Amino acid sequence: MTTDAMAGEARPAPSDSPLPRGMVTVLLLPGLATFAGYFVFAWLGLADVVMLYMLAIAVAATQFGQGATLLASVLSVLSLDFCFIEPRYTFVLTDIKHITTFAFMIAVGWVICDLSERIRAQARQAEERERHTRALYRLGAVLAEGGSVPAIRDRVEAYLRTELERPLAILLRDPKGRLEFREGEALLGPGEQELAESALDLGLPTGRGTGLRAGAPWLMLPLYGMERIVGVLAVRTSQAPAQGDPATLLSPLAAQISLALERASLAEERTEARIRVEHEQLRNTLLSSISHDLRTPLGAIIGATSSLLNPGPESGPEDRAVFLGAIRLESERLLRIVSNLLEITKLESGPMALKREWSAIEEVVGSALGHLEERLGARPLEVDLPEIWVPLDPVLFEQAVLNLLDNALKFSPPGGAIGIRGWAEGAQFRFQVTDEGPGFRPGEEERVFEKLYRGEGQASTPGAGLGLAICKGIAEAHGGTIQAGNRPTGGAEIIMTLPLEGPFLESMPPAFNAEP
Amino acid sequence: MSADHAPILIIEDEPNLRQYLSTTLRSHGYRVEEAASWEEGREKASRMDPLLVLLDLGLPDGDGLSLARTLKGEKPVPIIVVSARAREEDKILALDMGVDDYVTKPFGSGELLARIRVALRHAAEAVTPEAPVLELGDLRIDFTCREVSLKGESVHLTRIEFDLLAFLARHAGQVMTTSQILRGAWGDASKAQSSYVRVYMRSLRKKLEPDPTRPRLLITELGVGYRLKP
Repeated sequence: MTTDAMAGEARPAPSDSPLPRGMVTVLLLPGLATFAGYFVFAWLGLADVVMLYMLAIAVAATQFGQGATLLASVLSVLSLDFCFIEPRYTFVLTDIKHITTFAFMIAVGWVICDLSERIRAQARQAEERERHTRALYRLGAVLAEGGSVPAIRDRVEAYLRTELERPLAILLRDPKGRLEFREGEALLGPGEQELAESALDLGLPTGRGTGLRAGAPWLMLPLYGMERIVGVLAVRTSQAPAQGDPATLLSPLAAQISLALERASLAEERTEARIRVEHEQLRNTLLSSISHDLRTPLGAIIGATSSLLNPGPESGPEDRAVFLGAIRLESERLLRIVSNLLEITKLESGPMALKREWSAIEEVVGSALGHLEERLGARPLEVDLPEIWVPLDPVLFEQAVLNLLDNALKFSPPGGAIGIRGWAEGAQFRFQVTDEGPGFRPGEEERVFEKLYRGEGQASTPGAGLGLAICKGIAEAHGGTIQAGNRPTGGAEIIMTLPLEGPFLESMPPAFNAEP
Repeated sequence: MSADHAPILIIEDEPNLRQYLSTTLRSHGYRVEEAASWEEGREKASRMDPLLVLLDLGLPDGDGLSLARTLKGEKPVPIIVVSARAREEDKILALDMGVDDYVTKPFGSGELLARIRVALRHAAEAVTPEAPVLELGDLRIDFTCREVSLKGESVHLTRIEFDLLAFLARHAGQVMTTSQILRGAWGDASKAQSSYVRVYMRSLRKKLEPDPTRPRLLITELGVGYRLKP
C-alpha cells in the first residue's frame, strides 16, 4: 500500500468496495438484535430495545462502509418497527414521533461510520508514513555500505525494485555527460531513453504526471547532487496518480541516492587524482635519481679515460694503473645500477613470475659469493647454512642475496665481518645477512625497503636506493617477508623469511638413496 | 698459439665490439677473421674452416642461433655465443642446441679467453682417444677403476655421483645444461627429473669442496646448469 501511495496511486481500500463484504454479518446484526430484543423488551422496555438496535448499527458502522451501514441501519429500523413498535408485526406507525427516532438511529449510524472511516484513513496514512520512513531508513543503510559508484547503483536498484515492486532503473552519466543505457536495459525503449535524456537536459522530472508527456508509463526523476545532476531515476508507474505530484513523493528517496552517488563519485575522482600525483612524484624522483646515479660513475669513467688519453708530462705507469682500475670499478658499479633498474622495472610492471624449484640454499649463496669474490676480498665471512631444500626461484633469490651483500659491503667498515645465516623455523625458512656497520637509525627499519630510499647522509653513496626494495619485492613474490633491524652486538641485520610449505608444483625431491 | 693455425671467426655486427674482440684475440696470439652479418658469417665460415666461431646472437639479418645450428650441421666447429640476452632460457636453448659456451655482455676479456681455451681443448680432445685418467688441479679421476682422489686422498663416490662427475670432467670448463647432464651422465633424460641433478650435485659438493659455499671446482650456473672448473 505504501508503494502506491508513494507513487501517487490510490487503490481503493477494501472497506470502500461497493459490494459489502460480510453481507451475512450485515443481515445478521439486526437479526441478533431482534432476537435479543425479545428478552430486553420483556424485562426492560422499548427504549432499551432501541438501544440494542443502536448497538447493532454501531457495530456495523465500525466494520463496514457507508452503504453497508445504511443497509444495516434500515434493516434495524424495519425490524424494530415490525417486531416491537405498536401495532406490532406491522409496518404501520401509530405514533409519528417514532419516525424521528428512526431518523436519529440512521443518522448516528452514519456519523459513527464516518468517524470510523476517518480513523481508519488516518491509521492507514500513519502506517504509510511509517513504511515510507522505514524505506528511507533502509535505503540509507543500503547506501551507507559504500563502494564504487556502479556497486552503489546496483545495490540501490535491487533494493528499490523489491521495495517498490515495480520496474525501475538508475541511469548514470557516461564520461561524456550523457546517460548510459546498459545492456539488458530492455525495459527502456528508445522513447523512454529520450524521455530520460530530456529529464537530464531540462533538469526537471519528465513523464507521468509532469509537464512533459504526462501520459507516459514511466516517470523520470533527475538525481540532483550538490554540484551537478548525477543521473536519472526511471520508475514505471502504471496509472494516473490519484492525487498530488508523484515526483515529490519519490524525491526524498532520489535525494538520498543522488548524494550518495555523488559522494562516491567524488571520492573516486579524488583517489585517481592522488594516484596520478604520486606516480608523477615517483617518476620525477626516479628520473633525477637515475640521472645522478648514472652520471656519477660515467663521470669517473670519462674523467679517467680522458686523463689516459692526455697524460700529463709527469704521469707514469702507476697513474695509468690507477685510472684503469677506476674505470673497471666504476663500470661494474654502473652495471649493477642498470641491473637494479631493470629488476625494479620488472617488479613494477606486475607480479613476478617465479620459477620455483627445490633449491640447495648453499648453492645459491655460493653462486652469489662467487660473483662478489673481488669485493669481498679478505674480509671475514661467517656462513652458516642448513642442508635443507628451500622452495625458491634460484635466480631471483641470488639477486636478493647479491643486493643484501652489496648493502652489507657498502656499510661495513674495512675488514668488518659479514654474516650469512639460514635456518628453518617451523614452516618458514629464515635467511639473515649481518654486518658490523653503523646499523639502522631508529624508525628507518621500515623505510629502507622503500624504492629510492637512502639513509640520511647517504645521498652521495652510489646505487639508486633500489637494492633493498628489490629484495622486498622478491621476498613478497615468494609469499614471504623481510625485516631490517639492529643487532644487539652492533651492526645491521636483515632477515628474509620464506615459506617452506605451500602449493608448489614440484613435490619434494626424492630422499637421497645410498648406492654402490 | 702460432699464427699459422686456422683463424677464429668473429661474427659480430657492432663495430666497436668487433674491434675490441679482434684486438684482444690478436694480442693473445690468435689469427682473426671478421664478419658483420649472418650472410657474411655463413659465407666466411664455409670458406675458411675456422678454428672457433665467436657468434653474436643479435645479428641484424638473421637469428644467430639458426646460424649456429647451420654451422654445427656442416662441421664440428666450436662455437661460443656472445649475447646481450642474459635470460637463463636463452642460454639453455643455445647450449642444448649444441653451442659450446655462452658469454653474456658485458664480459671481461679474461672470462672470454678462458672459455675459448676450454672450447679449443675439448675440440682437440674429441679427435684423440679419451685418456683413462684425468687430472684437473687437485682432482684426479681414473675412469677405468672408477676412482676419484682429491689432493691424493681417495674420495668415495656412489655410481651415480661418479658418472655425474665424469661427465662434467670430460667437458671441464664448459657449462653443461641440466638436460645435457641427464642425457650425457645418465643416458636418459626422460625418466629422471632436473631436481635429481641438484640433489647429486649437492652431494658431490659436500664430498669434494672444502667449503661448499665457496666452491672452487663445481661451479653452479643458476638456472642453466653446472661447470667443472679446471
